[in-house]
Amino acid sequence: MIPSSGPHIRSGTRFVGRSVPRREDRGPLTGGSRYIADVKLAGMLEVVFVRSTEAHARIVSVDTSEARAVDGVEAVFTATDLAEVESFPDHIDSIGPVRQRPLATDRVRYVGSPYAAVVATDRYVAEDAAALVAAGTEYEPLPTVADIQQALAPGAPKLYDDWDDNRSVDIAYPRPEADRAFAEADHTFTATYVSQRQTGLPIETRGVVSDIDGGTLTVWTSTQSPHMVRTTIALMLGVPEPQVRVIHPVIGGGFGVKTHIYPEDIVVPWITRRLGRPARWIEDRMESLLASVHARDQRHDVEVAYDGDGTIRAVRCTSTLDLGSGEIFYPGTAPVFATNSCITGAYDLSKVQTRAVAVVTNKTPSGAYRGFGIPESTLVIERVIDRVARLTGTDRAELRRRLLLRPGQTPYVMHAGGRIDSGSHAESFEQALELAAPALKRVRARHAHDPDVRVGVGYANYVEPTSPSYFRTTGHWGGGDAATVRVDPDGSVRVAVGLSAFGQGAETTAAQLAADALGVSPSEVTVVLGDTERAPYGLGSWGSRGAMMLTGSVMLASERLTAKARAIAAHMLEAAESDIVLADGAFHVAGSSQPSISWAQVATAAWIRKVDLPDGMEEGLETSGYYHPEHLEHQPDDTGRFNSAASWSNGAHIGIVSVRLSTGEVSIEDYIVVHDCGTVINPALVEGQIHGGVAQGIAGAMYEHLQYDSDTAYPRFASFMDYLVPTCAEVPRLSVDHRESPAPDQPLGVKGCGEGGTIGPPAVVLGAVSDALSEWGVELTECPVTPVAVRAALRAAGAARGRAEGNP
Amino acid sequence: MKPAPFDYCRPATVVEAVEALGSAESGRVLAGGQSLIPAMNFRLTDVSLLVDIGHVTDLPGVDTEVAGVTVGATATQSRVLNDDDAARVVPGLRAALRHVGHLQIRNRGTVCGSIAHADPAAELPALAVAAGAVIGITGPDGHRTVAASDFFLGPFWTALSDAEVVTEVHFPAAPVGSVTSVDEISRRAGDFAVAGLVAVIEVGDGAVRSARLVGFGVGGAPARLASAEAAMAGWAPDHPDRRLMEAAVEDTADAFDDIHATAWYRREAVATLLVRAARRALANGETS
Repeated sequence: MIPSSGPHIRSGTRFVGRSVPRREDRGPLTGGSRYIADVKLAGMLEVVFVRSTEAHARIVSVDTSEARAVDGVEAVFTATDLAEVESFPDHIDSIGPVRQRPLATDRVRYVGSPYAAVVATDRYVAEDAAALVAAGTEYEPLPTVADIQQALAPGAPKLYDDWDDNRSVDIAYPRPEADRAFAEADHTFTATYVSQRQTGLPIETRGVVSDIDGGTLTVWTSTQSPHMVRTTIALMLGVPEPQVRVIHPVIGGGFGVKTHIYPEDIVVPWITRRLGRPARWIEDRMESLLASVHARDQRHDVEVAYDGDGTIRAVRCTSTLDLGSGEIFYPGTAPVFATNSCITGAYDLSKVQTRAVAVVTNKTPSGAYRGFGIPESTLVIERVIDRVARLTGTDRAELRRRLLLRPGQTPYVMHAGGRIDSGSHAESFEQALELAAPALKRVRARHAHDPDVRVGVGYANYVEPTSPSYFRTTGHWGGGDAATVRVDPDGSVRVAVGLSAFGQGAETTAAQLAADALGVSPSEVTVVLGDTERAPYGLGSWGSRGAMMLTGSVMLASERLTAKARAIAAHMLEAAESDIVLADGAFHVAGSSQPSISWAQVATAAWIRKVDLPDGMEEGLETSGYYHPEHLEHQPDDTGRFNSAASWSNGAHIGIVSVRLSTGEVSIEDYIVVHDCGTVINPALVEGQIHGGVAQGIAGAMYEHLQYDSDTAYPRFASFMDYLVPTCAEVPRLSVDHRESPAPDQPLGVKGCGEGGTIGPPAVVLGAVSDALSEWGVELTECPVTPVAVRAALRAAGAARGRAEGNP
Repeated sequence: MKPAPFDYCRPATVVEAVEALGSAESGRVLAGGQSLIPAMNFRLTDVSLLVDIGHVTDLPGVDTEVAGVTVGATATQSRVLNDDDAARVVPGLRAALRHVGHLQIRNRGTVCGSIAHADPAAELPALAVAAGAVIGITGPDGHRTVAASDFFLGPFWTALSDAEVVTEVHFPAAPVGSVTSVDEISRRAGDFAVAGLVAVIEVGDGAVRSARLVGFGVGGAPARLASAEAAMAGWAPDHPDRRLMEAAVEDTADAFDDIHATAWYRREAVATLLVRAARRALANGETS
């Protein structure tokens, strides 16, 4: 992919800033990658989970006898067999405890909840037997809760009998100054905005393979956090952590779905220990839609105080997240806190009062998905600004200009403590407006003669918190990450990191960073990750933390290693250490024609030819770097505020849509992104992140929707016939431009860019379609924007039926 | 997503296929398998014997004559889509097949398979009814033909009995001077239609002479829109749209709600497609 802006080569770096080709591409493109389903072990058994077909029920009995009798079935396990396995931890007091068992015991709370596992010699047999277990299950149905409104209704059926109600969390951030602003403002309005239930939907579903050799349990799992999986398996199965090895093979996408630790991650290794046999479970697509976390199911009740000139004086917002059953580790509450703390986005709005609520319902547990609450908050603030603009007759772009953060305003502390370290909030928007102007003209001209078509433009300005701490929301993890750098006797470099890789280019990036730091070429750098035996402990890849953590830890370790190598080289060259220069992969004496010493010579001295080492020098050439970003906070202060992100990227999205009045069909005709993630390590990778992100954002804006029956909480989706993933036919060509506002507190100014693309589209599409229909006063408030939604809005607005009645 | 156990056979003749179907508890014909195999993998369809007709030798291919096009049971959708002669005689075939699935699906899927499957949102059954196609069926009692209008009985329900095979479908040539259009609204490119319309419209003197109209995605079985056909006869561009639209809404009382669209949206959409088809037919008729 060729970046649309120029190369970002900076002085002092040879590889950082350049679109170094991805080393990860060959495998997937040639079919050579070994994904989880390609891990095959001799004598391996197949596991199929039997999942609840009831949304809320007591399990009266499970008769497994028929299933056990099927030829080829080795075992059928239910919750009773796993009695000695610990529950998933409930780490944090402020979140309602769910005491999640690896298999549901006497009660199921969503369709898809696993309550039995069939182990057989092949998958066909296992599925035949699973059908018999399902048929042998007797339920006593309980009343269901299908959405936020039902969950909060007085006297609603409770999912957890010992809770007061269905609220898992309910935390308010009162701000008296907001109340005062409401009293003083000219006008107020209230509105409700809705973001629908989706899922991250990696192309590769989840899967777990386990093996046991002596005392050591080896678990391959398609996860974004292998070390966290290891710790959790050790804890729940009561195995010493060094006897558990977790490996993630090549991963076909994660998108946050694979940051969670699932029942299957525990039960499959447990089966291997119990039977002494390798076992595997591969999630099929149908169960993936039920068994992997959902996300984005949020409702926002907003009050806005504003003046006649468009001044927004204060905003109150209650964000409520539909958690599903809540039976997921780590808990799925975190995104609503992110929504809450970022509700003002890239705008200077300090008088903000928020409340974050998460409720449990009889649906699949919700959790992480790329964007992590920020598409939702951005949707809210952009709709609010458009509404104020309309009510006060202010130009929508002009009103945004007035509100956007300006260069002198950073670091800017948001209402909940988020500390925006730097950015190009106003400038990115201006740049996007400039790019959009000719595009808008083109699109208008294209449709000028069709009375059935209207054109509209939508805006989104956002901040993207990166490298967050999840301590507050998981009660368990957050912080920095590690890298170990080693130079072997042949001079090759080995970089091992605690991050994982699932398509984002972490290996390429790590090699670029190490190559610059050690003065070698990226091709001389081997990157090791995703294996708890080979890589240092790490929290994994999520929250757009990869680039920042890699930069910090690889550079720190490389600097230490280089210092040691320099001392060895100085000794070998009989020169002063201060005269040694590292250039072109070798150590030279400055200003001398003396032959240089290569990394291989230094490493040979350090590992083998120790006679060359200076006296007292510790042997070996391997160091580790533990990077913890400055200003990253884990716990709130006594006012409830804290900065839970290490840095803040930003961006501006502008979309131009055409809307066909007679059918409600929407087409995105042009889409502009100006993106600022600080220092860019690899422009092609950043551009790829944006393209993929925008595609997923459009999915949320217009297509994907996991719907449930409101009477029964039964899912109304089973396959891709029901869950509409946009294809290349639906995703428009993008115009992308980069800006670089380096992170002031990071060694290279890197911020992170994994999620920005997904953030803008819902706000953009809602704004653009509403703009296109502004002559009827249409203001859309809910995603997805479907043809039915558009027609319904036009009908509600009393619009004429469009061209068909001769009245466009 | 693995199917329940089933038996499989690969007959060489139609008669063998019929015998195999007759011998099975629940036999199903496998042609392209683009709907049947997923349904089996989802365990939504109970199949004891799969009769693969892919190697049957005594089936017609795609025969185009002045009177019409006969499509044999194993002819893929791509094969028919790319057949210029067929498209000339029955323009609706190409117009409909363009909307069917994606390239990979059309390379496997068959025209007769789609008709035998009778998905209410599919294009080909609607085309068959609009074009007055005749379905050729072979069973234990030999060969018989059924008019498309009598073939489709409801969603995924046809006049086929258990041991019968659709061996060919004959699409009569489109009337001279007629314009066939297949238009639909779908959520994404290649999806089954939320609402669609096949229109075979004969024009003359700047007005519609007669029309055969069939909606799809809006009701149980593809059927002609009687009121709309009546309203369209004699209709000209300066006539109000409202009459056509009201008639279409009246004809689509079977429309249903699902996760992709509401019943009212479907009825409204067919009405819109109807006006579009009429205007296009008249515009094309004038230029030809």
